[in-house]
Amino acid sequence: MSARLLAVGRREYVERVRSKAFVVSTVLGPVLMAGFLVVPAVVMARQRGRPVKVAVLDAQGTLGAAVEESLARREAAGQPRFEIRPAPAPAGADGRQALRDAVLKGELDAYVYLPPDVIERSAAEYHGRNVSNMMDIGLADAAVEEAVVARRLRDAGLAGDAVRDVTRKLDLKTVRLSETGEREDRGGSFFLSMILMTILYTAVAMWGAAVMNGVIEEKTNRVVEVIVSSLSPLTFFAGKLLGVGAAGLTQFAIWGASLGVLSMWASALAAGAGAPMPEISPLLIGSFVACFVLGYFLYAALYAAIGATVNTQQEAQALVFPAMAPLLTSFLFFPAVLGAPDSAFSTVLSLVPFFAPLLMFLRVAAAPPPPWQLALCAALGLAAIVAVTWLASRIYRVGILMYGKRATLPEIVRWARRA
Amino acid sequence: MAEAAIALDGVTKAFEGHVAVSDLTLAIPAGSVFGLLGPNGAGKTTTLRMVMNVLAPDAGTVRLLGRPADQAARDRVGYLPEERGLYPRMVVEEQLVFLAAAKGVPRREAARRLSPWLERLGLSEWRRRRVNELSKGMQQKVQLVSTLLHEPDLLILDEPLSGLDPVGAEVVRDVLLELRRQGRTLVLSSHEMETVERLCDAIALINRGKKVLDGPVREVKSRYGRNAIVLAYEGDGSFLAALPGVAKLTDFGRYVELRIGDGADPQQILREAAARLRLSRFEIVEPSLRDIFVERVRGEAAQ
Repeated sequence: MSARLLAVGRREYVERVRSKAFVVSTVLGPVLMAGFLVVPAVVMARQRGRPVKVAVLDAQGTLGAAVEESLARREAAGQPRFEIRPAPAPAGADGRQALRDAVLKGELDAYVYLPPDVIERSAAEYHGRNVSNMMDIGLADAAVEEAVVARRLRDAGLAGDAVRDVTRKLDLKTVRLSETGEREDRGGSFFLSMILMTILYTAVAMWGAAVMNGVIEEKTNRVVEVIVSSLSPLTFFAGKLLGVGAAGLTQFAIWGASLGVLSMWASALAAGAGAPMPEISPLLIGSFVACFVLGYFLYAALYAAIGATVNTQQEAQALVFPAMAPLLTSFLFFPAVLGAPDSAFSTVLSLVPFFAPLLMFLRVAAAPPPPWQLALCAALGLAAIVAVTWLASRIYRVGILMYGKRATLPEIVRWARRA
Repeated sequence: MAEAAIALDGVTKAFEGHVAVSDLTLAIPAGSVFGLLGPNGAGKTTTLRMVMNVLAPDAGTVRLLGRPADQAARDRVGYLPEERGLYPRMVVEEQLVFLAAAKGVPRREAARRLSPWLERLGLSEWRRRRVNELSKGMQQKVQLVSTLLHEPDLLILDEPLSGLDPVGAEVVRDVLLELRRQGRTLVLSSHEMETVERLCDAIALINRGKKVLDGPVREVKSRYGRNAIVLAYEGDGSFLAALPGVAKLTDFGRYVELRIGDGADPQQILREAAARLRLSRFEIVEPSLRDIFVERVRGEAAQ
């Protein structure tokens, strides 16, 4: 029995790992992933490279120079962000019109208008062609605010140097505390969680679909008839899940090994850029693998059952979506869970087996939950795997030999009861 | 007679809307070549699928090699399904090793056994090719090899010769005859009577899910007597059908076959025919299985 299980698993594994698709996705996966991360960063840096040409129109009369000076000090990626252009002398309606024309003609990117009561009302205006670049607007906002606050302080009696001293910018350093020590973190762990979660999601969906397509192929080629007459469908089903899952883990192992090599190089690079690498702890790696295994068995079993009830991949699509809904929904809860990883909501949700693969992993990445929760999650997950594979194998057993019309839901329920 | 290789008792299988096999009782003797005959849609394939546990019967029991048809019994059976099932992108050799391993043959042993078979069926140079690079006939042979690697006592072959060219069919027929000499039981399903007539010791004819007749080929034929005349001639033979004693005329183009009624005298027919036609052949024969088959099936349809 186990020799046959091994034969089935071995076939699945060998055929998968040898396939072009596997080689391509193994090699291209990291390349694409890096591309998705690096290309936008590079593009953004380039875009940022050109400073924003800005003029300050001062209707208040005395604040213009301070705002210009404050704007000139703003930096992005180590470069001054604003290029200050002279504003027309009369600050009235004519001046605004002139600046407006300059912006529309492209001589200026934007102008800042300081109304006469800017200090009292604490309100100014930013006019530009592009007002959706939140970063530039944020910088401009801070620049004007700084000048206004400095003025108010000076009016309240503080001397020039004292003002600079009082308004000195704060550098908030974030340090992540854990049992293994502490390390500085500037958003790195957020990105890491997001990337790893995306990889988890993609892997579960991809390998699940691989199982489903395999099942459909065997059905179309009528291989099942030979198989079912040779060994029990349950053995075949189990061998298939194990073999494909092993191929998935192999891919991770290859990625992990190459990442290990890369990260040495990358951490040197990151250290140079002043952005500390997020910590990749054994717990994180362990839970990544565990979450993949849990998610894979749950969803691949469903995928296999779906494959057995249809005749073509097109037919399968309609059924795949509802089956994958919990996995997709996990993404919606992502901000809530990351925001409060220890809340009752996050805890309960991350223990539900269908959500656990992504959300429990996210919690581990954000702030490791207590061990009893991890143990409970694993126990619930195992129970769910047993239940789901049992149900799926029954549907599979009957569906695999049904040809012709697609099974309806009531029929599938009947199969599960009867098989 | 020894225990039957396959014993069906009251086996019934219905699909939505129609009954595919109805109360079928059949014993296939061990050590024989047995033909399961019937027109398309008669229930042959459904019957074999039930024997191989691909389908579960609604009623009745299936016994295989003297025991209930369980996994252990099926391990001693080689099954060639009607619709061939191979992984199209798998290499021939690996495919065969896998299918044998699925039957419980160790991989090394399977690899050792497959070479002579590939050699014999002219597949040696294709052993490292993917199945989808092979012609239909070659795929058919690969499938046949896959039924042999676990050295089964019983072979169930659903339409084994369909899709083969005459040369391929001859090679396969030789293989089947050799397997029979080795004392294995062969069950062939076919709607091609000529094949079956030459290979089989016994047959069962089923139509619309029911057994119409069964028994050793010789017995079945003698039940119908030596009551056919084959006649080849030049001239207008249209009067032949109307001769007294002629029950039925089948025109095969180059010759006609006359079925004669009980008590009719073949010599009388010979005289009548010789008087009016230039005869090149006159022979009194047993009816062909094809004839019996067509007659019984037509008879059923008429009822």
